[in-house]
Amino acid sequence: MTSRGTPSRFLRSVLQNGVGRYVCQLKRISIVFSKKAQSSLGVRDFIEEGVVDYANKNPGTVVYVSPQPCRVPKIVAEYLNGNVREETITSKTSQQISELLTKLTNQSGLEIIRIRKPFHTDSPSIQGLWHPFTNRPPSIGPIRPTKGLTKENV
Amino acid sequence: MASGYLLNRGALTLGIHCQRACRNISLSQVREKKRWMKAYTYLMAKKLKLEGPPPPTPRSQQPHWDYHAEVQAFTHRLHENFSLELLKTAFINPCYLQMEQEKRKGLGVESETAALVLKDNVQLSKKGSAFTESFLTDWCRASFPSLPAIGVESIVGHLTSPAVITYVARNLGIEDLTMSAEFPVPDDVLCSTFMAVIGALQESSGAERTGLFLRDFLVTQLIGKDLFDMWTVVNPMGLLVEELTKRKIPLPEPRLIRSAGASTVLPLYFVGLYSDKKLLAQGPGETLAAAEEEAARVALRKLYGYTESHRPFDFSPQQQHQQPFIQSVASN
Repeated sequence: MTSRGTPSRFLRSVLQNGVGRYVCQLKRISIVFSKKAQSSLGVRDFIEEGVVDYANKNPGTVVYVSPQPCRVPKIVAEYLNGNVREETITSKTSQQISELLTKLTNQSGLEIIRIRKPFHTDSPSIQGLWHPFTNRPPSIGPIRPTKGLTKENV
Repeated sequence: MASGYLLNRGALTLGIHCQRACRNISLSQVREKKRWMKAYTYLMAKKLKLEGPPPPTPRSQQPHWDYHAEVQAFTHRLHENFSLELLKTAFINPCYLQMEQEKRKGLGVESETAALVLKDNVQLSKKGSAFTESFLTDWCRASFPSLPAIGVESIVGHLTSPAVITYVARNLGIEDLTMSAEFPVPDDVLCSTFMAVIGALQESSGAERTGLFLRDFLVTQLIGKDLFDMWTVVNPMGLLVEELTKRKIPLPEPRLIRSAGASTVLPLYFVGLYSDKKLLAQGPGETLAAAEEEAARVALRKLYGYTESHRPFDFSPQQQHQQPFIQSVASN
């Protein structure tokens, strides 16, 4: 689909994050995996070695580890603005899973859709936006080209 | 199961009399395509269409929830040291306590054996909202020294309005931790919970840290907002005349500076306000009256120092209290 058919948003941050203090937007992750299936092998390794370090490094995120009989191991990430993202981690290695977790930690919870412009500003102009009357001598009537260089224009 | 399958195969080879024997065997697990699945799915879809989606449930009643861990994470996430007891009290609303008491009465549990040892957050909430108002008023006065009292009140009123407070509270994860009788949490309950959290922070860490917290989360909501969005001024020209007489500046005279398309559907007039033949401000409008009013508003914004091009607010960490007093909001 073209960009008009798919959703898009502007670049923004949740609650002006970073202007005052930086708040990690990830509030909780739930790691759902199986104790015996092959697809959860990487997850089980990650839980043995990496998850405690991750939880210590990110004290603002609650980590829930939930072994259940499931075919497809998942990470469910919930963000402060209410969005929930599910990532499947079938047959990923422990290293890949920790990279994925860093990626999820650094995201704000806004949707991953096309961003219309890669910039945003709340003060687009200091001296005032240009309009056709800027830098013209005051005149009443239609805008006509001023004839040559007059004393005002120089 | 495998035994059932073998028996069925046996039935085909051995004839009808074995089938009669096989019919009574119930298979505990069917791994093939389930015959009832289509009817069930259609029925559930019809039920959804009839009744609408199921009502939302609070996060605490969904899987994977540990209240103590969540409260600790809340404190770490905001980089604040709360006393956990005070914070947990701040999340408990009186409506929740009432609901719990009624449940216990309904279950027939006597109040002595299972007493509800929880305090509600009314005190903390009052403390928090009083502190918030006083802090925001001081901050406004310091950042905009020439803004009159009504203006300061309206800015503070906007920042403490339910709309802004509930928006901030929802995006900080306070709604998940709130204990209230109804879900989704009503706006006023969420507001009072937020104020109670501020009160708890004030009691745990002191006024300065709470001030920084309010600056980082409430004052940032002013970014990108215009003064007259928050402060409705009915007669800007009258207000401008008052302000200029106070400052002993000659009164403004409006003059038409520019116009374009006067006889079209979308005319444009620029009216400039001159005091003592010097331009105070100019503003555009579709009619002459609208342009004059807009020019008065632009002049007021310049006088109060709340233009779009004003010096950005200071959000640097730990230096908040010295800067705003020295900061002079110079425009023009």
